[in-house]
Amino acid sequence: MATEQRQGYGFSPVSRSLNWMENLSEESYAYVLLAPAFAVLTAIALWPLWRTFRVSLFEDNLFGTAKTGGFVGLENYVNVLTNQNPLLSRPLIDFTGGTPFFRQALLVTLAFAILSVVFETLIGFGQAYIMSKEYRGRRWVRVSIILPWAIAIVIQGMLFFLLFNPSVGFLSDPLQWIGLFGSNPLTSSSNAFVIVTVADIWKTSAFMALLILAGMQSVDKSLYDVAEVAGASPLQRFRHITLPLIFPALMVAMLFRTIDAMRIYGIIEASGAGCGTVPSLSCLVVDTMFGTTQAYASAATIAFLTATIIALVIVGYLVALKLSPRGSYQ
Amino acid sequence: MSQATQQERPDDEPRGAFTNWVDSAIKNPEKVYRAMFFVVVIFFLLTTLFPLYWLTMIALSDSNRVSEGVGLLPTGFDPGSFVEIFQQIPLHLYLFNSFVFATLTTIFVLIIASLAGYAFGRLQFRGKRTLLLTVLVISFFPPASFFIPLFQLFSQQISFLGLTPPELYSTPGGVVIPLSAIFMPLAIFILTTFYGQIPDGLEDAARIEGTTRLGALFRVIVPLSAPGVATAGILTFIAVYNEFFFSFLMTGAQAQDWAPIVDGIISYQSQFQIRYDLMAAASIVAVVPVAILVVVAQEKIVSGLTSGALKE
Repeated sequence: MATEQRQGYGFSPVSRSLNWMENLSEESYAYVLLAPAFAVLTAIALWPLWRTFRVSLFEDNLFGTAKTGGFVGLENYVNVLTNQNPLLSRPLIDFTGGTPFFRQALLVTLAFAILSVVFETLIGFGQAYIMSKEYRGRRWVRVSIILPWAIAIVIQGMLFFLLFNPSVGFLSDPLQWIGLFGSNPLTSSSNAFVIVTVADIWKTSAFMALLILAGMQSVDKSLYDVAEVAGASPLQRFRHITLPLIFPALMVAMLFRTIDAMRIYGIIEASGAGCGTVPSLSCLVVDTMFGTTQAYASAATIAFLTATIIALVIVGYLVALKLSPRGSYQ
Repeated sequence: MSQATQQERPDDEPRGAFTNWVDSAIKNPEKVYRAMFFVVVIFFLLTTLFPLYWLTMIALSDSNRVSEGVGLLPTGFDPGSFVEIFQQIPLHLYLFNSFVFATLTTIFVLIIASLAGYAFGRLQFRGKRTLLLTVLVISFFPPASFFIPLFQLFSQQISFLGLTPPELYSTPGGVVIPLSAIFMPLAIFILTTFYGQIPDGLEDAARIEGTTRLGALFRVIVPLSAPGVATAGILTFIAVYNEFFFSFLMTGAQAQDWAPIVDGIISYQSQFQIRYDLMAAASIVAVVPVAILVVVAQEKIVSGLTSGALKE
């Protein structure tokens, strides 16, 4: 309709495609607009994911330029899961019990995810509570609480490297004195695991707090007034009003954090602990690919297993949410 | 309350201030809650801010005495480390590279996510829920599961139909392209929310005046959703600036090879001579830009993270 009136566009490809777009149905126009985003996501996420899976079905070729050899089907998966792959710097999991807990990538990653998410949720509640109240200087309290979240992983790593450094840091000596830490905590797997977990809690609690805060602010204020008149203490108000009403939002926030925690890599490298000391799943992928062996197929196997494990965690969360009596709120 | 217990109980004498305080606290429990509340506020402020304060004290310490340990005050005083960090390595170049990555990714993500956000937020079409869910699911996958093929692609180990793509390893493309895909889902969710809130009438009016469909998006919807676009942009910028995985693995270690701030700071850990004061100073310099952004755009960050994340 308006096409003929428009002048000054000429017959350049731009104007032709603009004209073409004018005449599309709403549905086709939507698909055209979505095309660039899905092209990027396909090229950078779906294709690599598919190719990672394909590479994992071939054998490692350590010395050639091709990186992969003949087709072996699921053999890589069997070898990795039964700890039969000599190319891995640390086992993914060792069912025989011959490997210490903190040297098994899957256990380290799961333990890290569970511990950090639990503590971040608890601290997040506290932080969300103080961010929700009205008082002078609240803006600056908010800024201070968000600040750790906005700090680059490499700087967070450097900070905790220094805090627990035996000579410059002040946290190492007292913890060593009470017998919790050894003399050089960043080289001990269990101590470094604690440091990495604390570092993550320090940085990411704020994210949890913001999501909980959003949930809190959506709760109808009059409910609290009623409860107060009825004589409920703040704790009771929290237990019987806040918690059930923000439960769905809380589950979503915990799911997000769990997924994110299971990707842990940067803080391990940047804190000086290193992937040999705290072997997470992502660490194992990078180590297998760039270590002394350059085993691409084995690395791809672990990468795809990592994605699968995360998918299982997501499904587990969704099932738990469906089954829980409070799930009906959503 | 615990502070009061320690300070105000001298001996068995009938007490003045403390007893009064207890009496009033019993009569007025709100007062106790208030006092406890501010204790909690101070506790959280200390845990989040003290490590950064302490980092500054290390940076200000004398380089020869810093390994004696640093407490509340610098050990010796030498602010020269803030100059030296730029002399030892080209820290400004690393910072510049990080800014380039973050800016390019933000522009790229905002344009593409605007188109997608408009479609999701304002148009009706079949498969909308499925496609939105696909975006969400993609954002769940770990970078490690994309990394191997992308690394091979960017370092010219893969060819398509006999064509080898240009080498993107150690160029802005090697970082910007993967990070665009990884941070696009959040931007799409934020923009979908904001674009969906603009009344239809405003867009219809522009269309009647003869604006093209795309023109209506970029001249009407985007300006009207400026806060949303700013939110998505700020979050993407911070996320890219702070990112570790691709920034570290897709670039070499030298600033001349487009290494971002990640490599600049890490290089202080691997240096022959251990200089704690320089590590701290470099970290602080690298934090400052984001810290300013957080102070200025606190509201937007809060609203963006919550609206984007709670969409599904």
